[in-house]
Amino acid sequence: MISNRRKRLIDKAARWVVTAGGAAIIAWLAAIFIFIAIEVYPLFGKPKIGEVISFKIDGDFRPAAIGMDEYHESSYIIGEDGRVFFFSPKNPSTPPSPPLQRGGILSAPLEVGGLIRLVKLDASSKITSVYRSGDNSRLALGTSDGRVLSVKITYKINYDSNNKRIIEPEIEENNLIQITTEKLPIKLLAFTEKESDIAATVYTEDGRLLFYGRKTTETLLEGIKTEEFHADLSDQITNHKSEIQNPKSEIKITSLAIDGFLENLYAGAESGNIYHFDIRERSSPKLINTIKASSSPITALSFLLGDVSLVAGDGEGGINIWFRVRDDTAETGWRLKKIHTLKSQGKAVTSISPSVRGKGFLTASSDGTVSSHFATSEQTRFIIQHSSKPISMVSYAPKNDGILSIDTENILHYQTVNDPHPEISFKSLFGKVWYEGYEKEEYVWQSTGGTDDFESKFSLLPLIYGTLKGTIYALMFAIPIAVLGAIYTSLFMNPWLKGIIKPVIEIMAALPSVVLGFLAGLWLAPLVEKRIPAIILMLIVLPFLSILSSLLWRSLPLSLKRRFNSGNESLLLIPVFILGMIICVWMNYYIENLLFTGDFRNWYYNTLWLRYDQRNALIVGFAMGFAVIPLIFTISEDALSNVPKHLISGSLALGATLWQTAVRVVLASASPGIFSAIMIGFGRAVGETMIVLMATGNTPIMEWNIFNGFRTLSANIAVEIPEAPAGSTLYRVLFLAALLLFIVTFMINTAAEVVRQRLKKKYAQL
Amino acid sequence: MKKFIKTGEPFIWLTAGAVATSLIMIVAILLLIMKNGLGFFWPSDIALLMLKNNEKLLGQIVNREAIPQPGAAAGTILKYRIQLKMGNRDIYGLDFKWVDVEDIKGIDYPENALCLERREWGNMYGFAKELKIAGSVVSGTDGNIWTALNSSVEKYGELHKRIVFVAKKEIGQINYDMERLRLKIRKLELEYGKENPAIKEKIENISKEIEREKGLYEKKSLELEELYIKTREAVILISTAEEKEKEIPVYNVVRAYMPNNMGVFQKMGIYLSRLWEFVSDDPREANTEGGIFPAIFGTVMMVLIMSIAVVPLGVLAAIYLNEYARQGTLVKTVRIAVNNLAGVPSIVFGVFGIGFFIYFIGGVIDKLFFPEMLPAPTYGTGGILWASMTLALLTVPVVIVATEEGLGAAPREWREGSLALGATKFETIWKVILPSAAPGIMTGLILAMARAAGEVAPLMITGVVKLAPSLPLDWSYPFLHLERKFMHLGFHIYDVGFQSPNVEAAKPMVYTTTFLLIGVVVLLNIFAIFIRNRLRKKYVSATF
Repeated sequence: MISNRRKRLIDKAARWVVTAGGAAIIAWLAAIFIFIAIEVYPLFGKPKIGEVISFKIDGDFRPAAIGMDEYHESSYIIGEDGRVFFFSPKNPSTPPSPPLQRGGILSAPLEVGGLIRLVKLDASSKITSVYRSGDNSRLALGTSDGRVLSVKITYKINYDSNNKRIIEPEIEENNLIQITTEKLPIKLLAFTEKESDIAATVYTEDGRLLFYGRKTTETLLEGIKTEEFHADLSDQITNHKSEIQNPKSEIKITSLAIDGFLENLYAGAESGNIYHFDIRERSSPKLINTIKASSSPITALSFLLGDVSLVAGDGEGGINIWFRVRDDTAETGWRLKKIHTLKSQGKAVTSISPSVRGKGFLTASSDGTVSSHFATSEQTRFIIQHSSKPISMVSYAPKNDGILSIDTENILHYQTVNDPHPEISFKSLFGKVWYEGYEKEEYVWQSTGGTDDFESKFSLLPLIYGTLKGTIYALMFAIPIAVLGAIYTSLFMNPWLKGIIKPVIEIMAALPSVVLGFLAGLWLAPLVEKRIPAIILMLIVLPFLSILSSLLWRSLPLSLKRRFNSGNESLLLIPVFILGMIICVWMNYYIENLLFTGDFRNWYYNTLWLRYDQRNALIVGFAMGFAVIPLIFTISEDALSNVPKHLISGSLALGATLWQTAVRVVLASASPGIFSAIMIGFGRAVGETMIVLMATGNTPIMEWNIFNGFRTLSANIAVEIPEAPAGSTLYRVLFLAALLLFIVTFMINTAAEVVRQRLKKKYAQL
Repeated sequence: MKKFIKTGEPFIWLTAGAVATSLIMIVAILLLIMKNGLGFFWPSDIALLMLKNNEKLLGQIVNREAIPQPGAAAGTILKYRIQLKMGNRDIYGLDFKWVDVEDIKGIDYPENALCLERREWGNMYGFAKELKIAGSVVSGTDGNIWTALNSSVEKYGELHKRIVFVAKKEIGQINYDMERLRLKIRKLELEYGKENPAIKEKIENISKEIEREKGLYEKKSLELEELYIKTREAVILISTAEEKEKEIPVYNVVRAYMPNNMGVFQKMGIYLSRLWEFVSDDPREANTEGGIFPAIFGTVMMVLIMSIAVVPLGVLAAIYLNEYARQGTLVKTVRIAVNNLAGVPSIVFGVFGIGFFIYFIGGVIDKLFFPEMLPAPTYGTGGILWASMTLALLTVPVVIVATEEGLGAAPREWREGSLALGATKFETIWKVILPSAAPGIMTGLILAMARAAGEVAPLMITGVVKLAPSLPLDWSYPFLHLERKFMHLGFHIYDVGFQSPNVEAAKPMVYTTTFLLIGVVVLLNIFAIFIRNRLRKKYVSATF
């Protein structure tokens, strides 16, 4: 025998264990929601910004260009005199960087730490201008004697025996080109290389805009041939200008940019104009367009990743993104359009540094601030005060996690940032966005593409649309069958048949959705494709047949009728329906020939201009409807059967017919229950994955056309999450989709449950 | 007439029609799957089609349909075409061909038409010409060729088994051991540093073991080579319908039969043997042939692991909710929430599984216990454990609800009686209430198992693969490999039906897999319904 004390102890322990365990499990279920929400949160989080670290540069070292490496360990400054200095902004005191302390003086120690001299540059010439091309590693330097040197900075990464990272910077000096014959200093420069072709434009001290092009062609006869072209573009601008106004005024160019395809040259002017030159014909660049882009000077121009979007910053801090859009009214078929406008910075934009991963970019301003923007989502992510003096140059780290800037006092500023999802805003997820290469604002979901500079498009709207489309077609099929079936089963059906029907329906509910999806996609879809008129016909013929049967039944002699109990009508209808279906299928051929010129799909396309996909919304409607029918059926049947019996008896006793009682009494009082059944069916259809995955083409388009496909939130998750790296934007957006599904289904189910509970209470009171 | 409509009789028939439609649909689907799933293994006759252009085609007729004639006038006579499974993929490139009935001069069923099921390239249809076994030749006209062929197919089947055993089991085991030893060294080095003298001796010992394994490996490779030489010994010469000749190693033949010459019982034998192969063998030819044993095994194993997790969790939560928690609005809300969780889409649970189990918990486990494997993940990637846990979360509401129903069904008097006799609350629950709730728990578990067996969406992102190299349970230490990826019947259906390069050839297999899956799920459900009905009856009789 166990003593009483021990018994009580065990009892207490059990109480404690069960309470703790049970509460923990329930909390655990709540944690699902919380965990998913935590994973989504960083999408909308604010960027994390580190402290600004400043270094003073020794007076005799005048920086012309700055740039960062991937690890912030080997960033560079190029001096006006051609010296290149590598240093680690992250830990300035560790070698190989020179002894420089926070806030200390960056004396240019030639020998000590990573200081190299550009060999191709004459000692006498100075760097007067710099152009950085899209991928950030290529630089072009314009000199005081009218030459351009293209330089490539690369990093070799090795690991030593202790797995410590060693970064070795390398400078590759490529072409040295004499562009101005007069050896005039180059004030502004744009330079792009593609394989061995070159296009360069310079704006010289004496106000001329000069073009230089080099083209290498390979022919069978002549072998490799290199041609060089020189052109003065200033005349084209002044000529153009003279037509408008004051012919004598000099055109002052304030910024230049050439795209990576060597096709377009843009020159921003002090007047606020952007001159667009077509430089595909390298021998004769042509001014094709002049756009009044701003009322103040265009102080900075830069291409974003992909070399299609052009950012223009002006003297009043306005930042706009332009790209060419197809336009039939324009002479060339294309027109440069202002696509995105960002919030004005207030003060002149001095420098732009595009990101190499995505459509983000940094701008520096003459009031000493550096701001980060994202073009497509039109967001200014953050603004940071780097200095009290104007910033002359800014550079974005390759992984977008650091900023290096330099001000007019020659003070370097370094700062880490962490802004992993700049492309996400409420608008980019749910609104219309104008993407590169599109003719207008659109809702687009396209998470991955073929090229490196592909921009992911994360509009959830096509997916939400697809989800609703599938759900609505499924419910259109399921509700009539399930609700009518429930009415019949609960009110008119023979009890013995009821005993069979209910388990059958339960088994119908248990059919795995992958099986339904498989049958829908591989059996039903090809079958329906050939027999659409028959399917449409069936939808009309079958209800008609049941009513017809009732008339026939009435006219049958009583002796025959007596053999069947009432309540078995549905069994009698089965052979009738099968016969009806066979007739419909048989008629299909004739209807198709008679009404649809022999081929429904062609007819559909030719008359309505809508495409027919084999796996379409109709198929999903059938398959998902099939999955939802048992759910709606069971709950509606429950609600109908629970209507208090005395109400029915009362109604019948007052002389109402069976049908009148069914509609006016039972259906009326059970309607909230049926409504809640439909809501639960809706919840199930919204989240169904395998059926839509298998029975549609999974194309994220937005059309209500019943004969084409769609992509739902759930199928999208199943398709894309295996490819999404943990923590990436796509990964988090998919979590957001899951969160949406969770919230929607949970709320719908809760609402349905509340309605049912109320109904139960009401019945109890009656 | 109007009066008749007023009685509502037509509307009653209309509602009856809805029930009839549901019944027709469900029965049609079950019949369709049964017909296609079970018919696949029946060795149907091989037809020789003689076409009007004197071409000859040999194969099994699998389908017949009307040819669509767009634009034809009404009343045009329908034309038909038949689909022929011609096999011989290595010769024709395609398995199937549509032939218009119009073009056919005649159909013959030659008695000596032979069907060879091969390990590669699918079926071969033709006529046996010669059988060459190690020099001796049996001619096709010889009556003995049939028995000779069958006995040699059997013999080489044994050889195949031996090769699989050596290549997969023995050499696989050696590779596995070597990899483990290598990781052991890495682990020691990570723990103590690379050149630490303290582990020098240990490492040397392990290296010696690796050397020994290498020696074993070479021995086994030699044996395997010898076995492979044997596979080329026997060859059968087949002539196709157009009298092209093709030599096929007997080793490549899984099964040979002449269906046109067989009685029902012989066919039945082939049927059963193919069915057995289907449930017991590994898949061949990118899952389109052979068996689905790994998928069955994976499904069962996943469901079992899930059950082990879900029962204690669900029962504990249900006891808490029903017996210990103070009944009030909070518990009511929790109950509704738990119930509604069952309605949350399964893919959401999959997303949770991938984020929480795989990347979070799995990542931590890898860092703590498997640093030597990094950067290759061990638990930080999908596997059977995580898939089972995800499904356990998905199905725990089902168990909670069913258990609560079971607990609630126990009559009040029992509880009061037990307490009155001096039992503590725990004793009452443990000895009186819980046993009576057992059928409820069983129902919940069975429903959970049925749901888990049929679920695919959360699995395909948490550890199911189309082809798993090894089972999650085998003879290599530590026997149970919870981190391994596995195959699953439901995913098999999706993968073979939609991702396979040869969907047409694979379709019958998918139907059979579907039949199997539905069979399991429906049986489980019927079982659950049966238990629940008994439970209800029991308490109905107990109260009166």
